[in-house]
Amino acid sequence: MSGFVGGLVWGLAGGMLIALATVFGVWWERKVAGRIHMRIGPQTTGPAGLLQVPADTLKMILKEDITPAQVDVRVFRLAPHIVFVPVAMSLTVIPFASGFAPLNTSIGMLFFLAVPSLSVIGMLLAGWSSRNTYATIGGLRAAAQMISYELPRTLSVLSVVVLAGSMRPLEVMEAWRPWWILANAIGFLVYFISSIAEVNSIPFDLPQAESELVAGYFADYSGIRWGIFMMTEYGAVVAASLFGAAVFLGGWRWLPGAFGVVLFIALTLLLITAIIFVKWTFPRMRSDQLMTTAWKILTPMALVQLVIVGVIVPWM
Amino acid sequence: MELNLADIAFWLLSAISIAGAATAVFTRDVMRLTLGLGVFLLSVAGWFLYFGHAFVAIAQVFVYVGGVLVLILFAIMFLHRSEQGLPELTSRHALDSAVVAVGVAVLVITSLREYVTGQLPTVGGADAEIGVSLLGAYLPHFEAAGVLLLAALVAAVVIVGGEKR
Repeated sequence: MSGFVGGLVWGLAGGMLIALATVFGVWWERKVAGRIHMRIGPQTTGPAGLLQVPADTLKMILKEDITPAQVDVRVFRLAPHIVFVPVAMSLTVIPFASGFAPLNTSIGMLFFLAVPSLSVIGMLLAGWSSRNTYATIGGLRAAAQMISYELPRTLSVLSVVVLAGSMRPLEVMEAWRPWWILANAIGFLVYFISSIAEVNSIPFDLPQAESELVAGYFADYSGIRWGIFMMTEYGAVVAASLFGAAVFLGGWRWLPGAFGVVLFIALTLLLITAIIFVKWTFPRMRSDQLMTTAWKILTPMALVQLVIVGVIVPWM
Repeated sequence: MELNLADIAFWLLSAISIAGAATAVFTRDVMRLTLGLGVFLLSVAGWFLYFGHAFVAIAQVFVYVGGVLVLILFAIMFLHRSEQGLPELTSRHALDSAVVAVGVAVLVITSLREYVTGQLPTVGGADAEIGVSLLGAYLPHFEAAGVLLLAALVAAVVIVGGEKR
């Protein structure tokens, strides 16, 4: 029974982490975007505008949760949860500190890649049940994009698995050496780009495409259900950054004990900021460019990385 | 009878599997039908976990739920919603379907007959052993399956994009 209670506690903790990450993430993103636009960003509400997002959150929770008349009601209400749960689950296998991952499983690396991709089912259902052209197109784009970018992303992580000789994230971390950053440089680039695509951030935001599809698959949502989609997006950014900072950049391996964990968080924040930088710098891709990037550029790059690792491993 | 967590998991999984499969067969709305199929496929992953094969379970999630099911949903999204309401569940091909169903049932039961008597399949085995046997004893089978899939992939590309413009 203790495992069950433990799971419950970790589930709540993970949910809180995502909620907090969203609140701070939105604030941080608005600050960074402000600097890129040569503005200051939020500053009026609270110190450095810190209370702006909690105020917005309160507004969002109190907002009416509208279910349009023509939608498939039950599927429409279910969809946000199907989007959210897999992303929250993916946080469980991340090696947060030496010897500590909430779910220490022998297939953790594969788990992290396989489970978050399930949220695309929720996106498709949201797009379908809204009975709305924008939402349907958004859902279709989400599916095409997620399936395409899963391949280079998985291949890029595979090279780390080959180097470490294990799929248990904690064992990968124990085996991690600083020279892996150089050996895995191409793989890390592939992972970073395809992660941006997996979290539907600009320049890969075709499924949402504010200026053409309004908000894509969640165009018809409002209030807290819209908020769940928003939280999922930030949760996915945080999860991808945590995982990348751990298995590619070494996370807490650089420094002993608690200092390592602090460094791990700092590296994660660095990756999140990098994703925000990319988001506010590049224009949206065309759908054919999107597919070309996945299949003709990233996948061969990941394969080259795999060959490099394959040559290195026998000499280790 | 005292219930422990493993028993609860067993009954819960059974209920979810049957509910998912029944939804997939008896629903007329194509989207809910596919959702039922998704629940069933996930419950199959749950069964693999229950019997201690974590790698097979996650592969099931990756390939069948994350890949095949998404492709099915993707295809359904392109469908035109019928004006005449939902299709009938009964089929014109009742006899042919029955023959196929009985054939599949016989196949499944004969291949699993050792376990029908109540003895469960052997549990456990490290995930690494799967890799060892796939790239060891079963390498020819593994390679043959790979070549077959590659041929299918190339064929699909040729069929779809073969025309010269």
